[in-house]
Amino acid sequence: MSYARTSLKGVMYYDSRRAYNGLTLFTPVEGRGAWLIDMLGRTLNCWQTPYAPGCDGRLLPTGSLLYAAKIPDGPLSDLEGAGGILMELDWDGKVIWKYEDPYLHDSFCRLGNGNTMVLRWVEVPQEIASKVIGGDPGTERDGIMWGDAIREITPSGKVAWEWIAHEHLNPEGNIGCLVCPRSEWTHLNACEVLEDDNILASFMKTNTIAIIEKKTGNIKWQWGPGELAHQHSPTMLDNGNILVFDNGFHPYGFPWGFSRVLEVEPKTKAMVWAYGGREATTEFYSATMSNCQRLPNRNTLICEGNTGRIFEVDLKGKLVWEFSNNLPSDKPYPAQIRSHMVYSAYRYGMDYPGLKKV
Amino acid sequence: MSIVKTAKKGVTFYNPAKAHQGYILFAPLGGRDVWLIDMEGNFLNRWQMPYVPGLHGVLLPNGNLLYAGQVKSAEELGLSEEFSGLGGMFLELDWDGNLVWKAEVPYQGHDFFPMENGHILYISWEPAGIIPDEIAAKVKGGRPSSELRGKIWGDSLIEIDRDGNRVWEWRAYKHLEPEIDVICPYENRSQWPYLNSVWFLRDGNILLSARYISTALKIDYKTGKVIGRYGQGGLAHQHDCRELENGNILIFDNGSHRHEYKPSYSRSIEIDPKTNKLVWEYKASPPSDFYTAHSGGNQRLANGNTLIMETDKGRMFQVTPNGEIVWEYVNPFYRYTFHRFTNMVWRAHFYDADYPGLRGKDLSLGRYFWENKLWGPGAFNSDIKPCLF
Repeated sequence: MSYARTSLKGVMYYDSRRAYNGLTLFTPVEGRGAWLIDMLGRTLNCWQTPYAPGCDGRLLPTGSLLYAAKIPDGPLSDLEGAGGILMELDWDGKVIWKYEDPYLHDSFCRLGNGNTMVLRWVEVPQEIASKVIGGDPGTERDGIMWGDAIREITPSGKVAWEWIAHEHLNPEGNIGCLVCPRSEWTHLNACEVLEDDNILASFMKTNTIAIIEKKTGNIKWQWGPGELAHQHSPTMLDNGNILVFDNGFHPYGFPWGFSRVLEVEPKTKAMVWAYGGREATTEFYSATMSNCQRLPNRNTLICEGNTGRIFEVDLKGKLVWEFSNNLPSDKPYPAQIRSHMVYSAYRYGMDYPGLKKV
Repeated sequence: MSIVKTAKKGVTFYNPAKAHQGYILFAPLGGRDVWLIDMEGNFLNRWQMPYVPGLHGVLLPNGNLLYAGQVKSAEELGLSEEFSGLGGMFLELDWDGNLVWKAEVPYQGHDFFPMENGHILYISWEPAGIIPDEIAAKVKGGRPSSELRGKIWGDSLIEIDRDGNRVWEWRAYKHLEPEIDVICPYENRSQWPYLNSVWFLRDGNILLSARYISTALKIDYKTGKVIGRYGQGGLAHQHDCRELENGNILIFDNGSHRHEYKPSYSRSIEIDPKTNKLVWEYKASPPSDFYTAHSGGNQRLANGNTLIMETDKGRMFQVTPNGEIVWEYVNPFYRYTFHRFTNMVWRAHFYDADYPGLRGKDLSLGRYFWENKLWGPGAFNSDIKPCLF
């Protein structure tokens, strides 16, 4: 808790000439659902569930919320990002679809055909786990190293496609973070299905973002080690570049304490745009969670998860909108020591089909 | 820039019933002032310096300010950026700002300790401390091939007398053990072990904070040998290791490269050196609300409270043993350092009202009328209004 920081709340900065007009959806860590606010921070809708987020929440074109919920006593609920239920709630909060799998975590992607791509934990077989480099020795979770799988599930809950990371990743080439525990190898935290059906994925513990070829399961492209440090939310832009939130947590070299949002050109692997970095040391930093989104007016929406701060910058990095999470916590703390953290935030323009009801 | 983070300045919280009363000295990084304030944020004295801090000043028992100023930056000395915290010049000024003593100390960096006999013990990165190749080859850890032009720079400790003569010197590489003192796997191999605090113990020996190996070291003053290692495994790039009245050690545990996957957090911890066990700890709730990648300081006060400096946020605060914040102050002075405007303060020092150095000093409130109006109590009281346009 800090008096200096907890006192500032809501929308503290808004340049209506430059910010991208729309509604912002976000999932506060100490909440039980998702909130939709306008540019002045007023709540236009909120969806309440019995579950804390685990972790992402997205507004679908139908106006429904697709929400990853965290089950209270899941088998791996001590691991960051644990979920367990994927639920779809209509605009009025009624649950219209549910998919349960206690090993679900982090994020998902709803496809145009109604299927959903989800992330789940699977055990890494001992013969492979013993070859994985990285992490403190002996810190496996009850002797097990957990890996990742991506599953495409139909509305009726059937598995239409599956990709298991340890069947395609080489232990020697995918080095886990040197100071993280060996309870996990890769920790996938994002899967975005691209126009060509391939999947843009984020392997957080091995500091790699990659494109997985759906047909073969091969990794078509990858980048990250040496630059990224526990990144989140890589997303494909219209110009073919990839935007990614580089947390800068457990960084290579002297830890100056900064995060960055990077735009990378896949062909050349050059970083063609960045927000944050050295010039924002201590100013902009979130060790875990967080995400970034490029907006139609070329601004970028950034969620600095650990501080509960969602803000928008233009191409020059100038601030045009800033919101500090001011929602009440669901935890039974005294009021002043609640956590403000937000997993992720997305902006939807007023012409988004899902906002027709507003 | 962030409105949310920059807006709060000055005293942001004060509970006079629970806070230990006294005066606080601090030197904003990148600036050229050292300020003494009271609990309400009134400015009581101001020293204006020719150099930016390298990295702080202390009020001596004789009432003078002893300050380390930065003469040359890391780049100017041909060193890489992680050699931050360089000073190079000791200056002693009286209460009115007159220079009474100075000493040129090239490669001096981070901390120094004014000894009772008037000598100063300080950390130095002078080239004479560079680790000889045969030993450097045995140093473990750190990122491969990240030495500085092929060399690992070792720390030295130097003691000078009032005439500026070197009366004692210590080289880290002669006493550290490569098998035990392993560099964190993500740090560079440009330095070993990267000292950032030095403290003279009551038993005549020296306590050091060795950052790259995340260990507090006790050095035998007579022989130079390492006779104690504290905190290994629990610390993560710590600063400010000091001895308490009760013989325990207080350490500011920054938490960078901590061996856990959790939002970054710092702690102030107290260790019993006899058992190397944790006896007290302050963490915020949630822990990530208190984190500084750079520096950080902690000082135990006479009533058992602790003054903590969260460097990156320019925020100093006083907590009770139960972790309740009873005073909080945010440095209102932004200066250019670390590539941007920041209100970072390396370390804040607390002095009781009866501190010998304050005896007979003019602490009247009228001396800094305009400074108080602009940056003192009441200057920042108005509600911060959102900028909406």
